[in-house]
Amino acid sequence: MSEPIIQIGDLKKSFGELDVLTGIDLEIEKGEVVCVIGPSGSGKSTLLRCINLLEEPSGGTIRVAGTQVFGDGKPQNLDQLRREVGMVFQQFNLFPHLSATENVSLAQVKVLGRSRGEADRKSRELLGRVGLDEKADEFPDRLSGGQQQRVAIARALAMDPEVMLFDEVTSALDPELVQGVLDVMRELADSGMTMISVTHEMGFAREVSDRTIFMDGGVIVEQGPPAEVLDAPRHERTRKFLGLVLAS
Amino acid sequence: MDAFFQTYFDFTIIEDNFGYVLEGFWWTIRLSILGGILSLLWGLVLAVLRQLPGKAFAPVRWLTVAYIDGLRGIPLLLVIFLIYGGLGALASEGVIPEAIGIPRWFGLPSPFWYGTIAITLTYGAYMAEVYRAGIEAVPSGQTEAARSLGMSHGQSMRFIIVPQAVRKVIPPLLNDFIALMKDTSLVSVIGLVETVQAGRDVYSETFNASALTLGAVLFLLVTIPLARFVDWMINRQNLKVQRGVP
Ligand SMILES: Nc1ncnc2c1ncn2[C@@H]1O[C@H](COP(=O)(O)OP(=O)(O)O)[C@@H](O)[C@H]1O
Ligand SMILES: [Mg+2]
Repeated sequence: MSEPIIQIGDLKKSFGELDVLTGIDLEIEKGEVVCVIGPSGSGKSTLLRCINLLEEPSGGTIRVAGTQVFGDGKPQNLDQLRREVGMVFQQFNLFPHLSATENVSLAQVKVLGRSRGEADRKSRELLGRVGLDEKADEFPDRLSGGQQQRVAIARALAMDPEVMLFDEVTSALDPELVQGVLDVMRELADSGMTMISVTHEMGFAREVSDRTIFMDGGVIVEQGPPAEVLDAPRHERTRKFLGLVLAS
Repeated sequence: MDAFFQTYFDFTIIEDNFGYVLEGFWWTIRLSILGGILSLLWGLVLAVLRQLPGKAFAPVRWLTVAYIDGLRGIPLLLVIFLIYGGLGALASEGVIPEAIGIPRWFGLPSPFWYGTIAITLTYGAYMAEVYRAGIEAVPSGQTEAARSLGMSHGQSMRFIIVPQAVRKVIPPLLNDFIALMKDTSLVSVIGLVETVQAGRDVYSETFNASALTLGAVLFLLVTIPLARFVDWMINRQNLKVQRGVP
């Protein structure tokens, strides 16, 4: 078996007095699809944001694609990391002053050094892939939340990342728009992309993930195939959480 | 009532001195436009310096804040005298070349340039604060998205943050520009016959204020449409916010 694409050792993160992550060990294989579930405030977003160093960890090590990107208390090889890891946010965070195509093209040109024409070709191809060929020239304020989120996925994919991080990407969407985004993610998972997705969509976790992780209080409480974690959880905290989620 | 009218609206005096006041107004316009453009640029530079990240740039940030607070804390009139007296003195001492100390660039007189420099230094500081408010009003998710795509701090400022910030602050910048335009009259103290000085010259010859009235009207011809335009822009922005457009 080859080296895991992500290796996290004893990852800690505090905000001042507040210890949010208290020692996370996690390895993710290339092509693996991992869903992270857990109550609000359990540190799921913080974990994702530490993986691409939007938050600087307080301790531990992170290796991505064989390169140490955090260790000895400081970030390393940040540029390489950000190229390897794409992220999609709950609030889309599209650039409102740029069209859909420009949103997808900008970093290709400025960061990867692609020509404008090459970048735009790639952008249109990706926008087609997420079902938005016709919206390529629209600005974000003319797109629905679901469409904006699909542009955001295309924007992250345009950098040819090795890993994609998704932080509750359907939570801000109207219910009828959720499915379109989940379909894109499912297709991406089928194509072999390595994905870590924080989600409240238990159905998605069950059907798409290779592994489901339950986090609570800044630690991984249990993990395993979704059938085990979701249907036969071993820990009381997991059972309680799932009980609350499924009841709602 | 007649006396009042005579004092402020003597059309003979206005007619006789129209050219003279208009010439002064032309200086006002040139000072406003050049000072305005330079202030806009200098203010943006200051605002960006103030946002430089990390420990290494702490001294730069600190100096920038000190500059902005300092220049906003002293009267423009004083800055004009400082530039005028200071540059002139330094040039005559030979500390700086005369071309800089007593500037006559593009064939324009040195009071014009002293004034332009002083206005830029002061209004750059005001506008830096306006830009800062705009930069801080851009949601942090924008920076995070840019950074997660691998953009550097500089790229994210240049392509993502500043373009959005500038759009948000066009109305307050225009308000500052209106204030700047009125403040160009202060440059008269170092010998530039701009609108107000032209009006005063006529007044001291005729003991009649009509040329000053003319000056006021010329100012209003520019400032009122600008103020209306600012209002229109603010209304349009508010409508967008109500519609939930970012
Ligand atoms: N930038 C921050 N500053 C201070 N506290 C934070 C910050 N970000 C997150 N937290 C805190 O960390 C805890 C975990 O947050 P988060 O990772 O967002 O949880 P989750 O995504 O699981 O809901 C929460 O208590 C939250 O208030
Ligand atoms: Mg979260």
